[in-house]
Amino acid sequence: MGQRLFASYCILIYAFLLAPIVVVVAASFNAGAFLTFPPQGLSLRWYVTFFENEVFMRAIRTSLFVALITTVISGTIGTAGALYAVQFAGRLKEAVRLAMLAPLLLPEVLTAIALLFFVYAIGIGTRTMVGMIAGHVLITLPFVFINVSAALESFDPSWDLAARSLGADRLTRFRRIMLPLIKSGVIGGCLFAFIISFDTFTISFMLKGIGTSTLPIQLFDYLRTNFTPEAAAVSSLSIALTVAVVLVTEKLLGLKIHRF
Amino acid sequence: MAPKKRHLAPLLLIAPALIVLTVFLVIPYLNIILMSFRTPGNGVPYGAGWTIANYGKFLSDPFYLFQIANTLWIGVVTTLVCLVAGFPVAWQLARGSNRWRGLYYGIVLAPLLIGIVIRSYGWTILLGNNGVINRALIGAGLVDGPLPLMYNGLGIIIALTHVLLPFMILPISSALQGVDPSLEAAARSLGASRAITFRRIVLPLALPGIQAGSMLVFVLAISAYVTPALIGGLRVKTMAVTVVDALIDTFQWPFGSALALALSVIGALSVIAFARLTRTKWKAP
Repeated sequence: MGQRLFASYCILIYAFLLAPIVVVVAASFNAGAFLTFPPQGLSLRWYVTFFENEVFMRAIRTSLFVALITTVISGTIGTAGALYAVQFAGRLKEAVRLAMLAPLLLPEVLTAIALLFFVYAIGIGTRTMVGMIAGHVLITLPFVFINVSAALESFDPSWDLAARSLGADRLTRFRRIMLPLIKSGVIGGCLFAFIISFDTFTISFMLKGIGTSTLPIQLFDYLRTNFTPEAAAVSSLSIALTVAVVLVTEKLLGLKIHRF
Repeated sequence: MAPKKRHLAPLLLIAPALIVLTVFLVIPYLNIILMSFRTPGNGVPYGAGWTIANYGKFLSDPFYLFQIANTLWIGVVTTLVCLVAGFPVAWQLARGSNRWRGLYYGIVLAPLLIGIVIRSYGWTILLGNNGVINRALIGAGLVDGPLPLMYNGLGIIIALTHVLLPFMILPISSALQGVDPSLEAAARSLGASRAITFRRIVLPLALPGIQAGSMLVFVLAISAYVTPALIGGLRVKTMAVTVVDALIDTFQWPFGSALALALSVIGALSVIAFARLTRTKWKAP
C-alpha cells in the first residue's frame, strides 16, 4: 500500500517534469490555426511555415554559429583551466576552482547587465557579437571546468609517469595518455556548453544587436504577439536538435556527464 | 629544462581563462558597482558626479520593498515545493532498481536540456485561461469559468518548480546514495518504525544534499528572469523583471544597477543566513 502510493507519487512528479515538453510537441502537429489542445487534426503545416520563415531560419543559423564558437572557446580555455587546477595549482586549487565557477554563482541577469554596460563603456556596444559571445563563454565555462576536472581527478598519475619513463615527451604524453583518458569529460563539458549556449536566454536578450537574435530571443519576440502553433514547431525542432546532440554523442562516445 | 620555465609554463594553461574572467566578469562587475553610485542622466545613461540616492530611492519606496518581499516569498515557496516534490524522487533514484534508472535520470534532467522560453511556452499552453487544464476542468463541469492559474504568483511558482526541480533532486539523490541502506535496515531491526527511521537516520544523513539543493533552488528562483516575465505577465513582477524594465525600457542605468546589486546582496545574505541556520547539527526532537 505505502509502496504503491510512493510509486504513484513519483510517477506524478515525472509526469509534471515532462508535461510542458509533451504539450509543446503535441501542439506543433496541430492542423488548426490556433493553439488548442488536443489538436484539431494532425498536420505538418506549421513546420512548413517555419521552414519558410526567413526570420526564424536566420535565428537558427545565428544560434548554431554562436553555440559553436562558444563551445570551441569555452572547451579550450575550460579544459586548460581544469588541467591547471587539478595538476599544477597546488595550494591555489580552491581559489582557481572558485574563480572558474564564479559565473555560475553570480545571477545571470546581473552578469548580463554588467556585460551590457561594459560593451557600451568600451565603445563597441552591441554592433558586434563580441559581447554576446563573451557572455556565452562565461556562463558555459563552469560546466566545461566541472566535467573536465571531475575526469582529471580520477586520472592516475602513474600512467603519465610510466609513459615518461618509457621516453615519451610532454606533447606525446598529453596526446596519447591524458587526452584519451579525460576525453569523456571534455566531450561532456563541450556538450553542455553547446546546449546551454544554444538555449540560453538572458545573456542573449541583453546583448543582442540588430539582426543577431538567437532562436530563443526570436521565439520570445514571436510569442509576445502571436499564438499560432508555429512557435510550437520551432520549439519542437529545437528540442529534437538538443535530444539528437545528446543521443548521438552518447552513442558515439558513451559520455559521462557531471553537472554538479 | 630550467626550473623557472617549468614553474611558469603551467600558468599558460590558466591564463586564457583568467583573462576572460577578468575582462568580461570582474571589470564589468566593478563597473556596475560604480554605475550604481552615479547620478541619473537626462537623455544620457547617467549624469555627472556621485550619489547614494539610488539606494535611498530603493529603500524608501514601499513599491520596491514590497517587490523584494514578494520575490523572497516566491523563492521560499518554490524551494519548499521543490523539496516536497523532489525528495521522494531523489530517494527513488538513489534506491530504486537499476532497470529504469537511466530513463528516470533522463526525465529529471529533461527540463535542463530544454530552453527556458520553450518550457515557459509549454506552461502557457497548459495553464492559460484557454489552456489544457482549464478546458478540461470546464469540460468536466467542475468549474464555471477558467481558474486563474497564470499571470499570478501561482503560475510563477509552478513554472519555477518545474525548472528548478532537477537542482533539488540531484544533490539529494547523490547524498542519499552515500548513505548505506544497511543503516536503515539496522534501525528497523531494532524496532524503529518507518517514520522514526526516516527522521532519525535518513533525514540527518541526507541533510547536506537538502541544504545544497535548497540553496541552489532559492538563489536561482529569486534571480530568475524569463519565467516570471513570461508567466507572471504584467501584474506580478519579481525584482529581476523590475530591474530589467528599469534598464532596458526606461533606461535608468544607475538606478537599475543599484536595484540589481541590491537583489544580489539580498540573495547572498539569505543564503548565508540559511547556511548558518542549517549548519547547527540536526537534532532529532
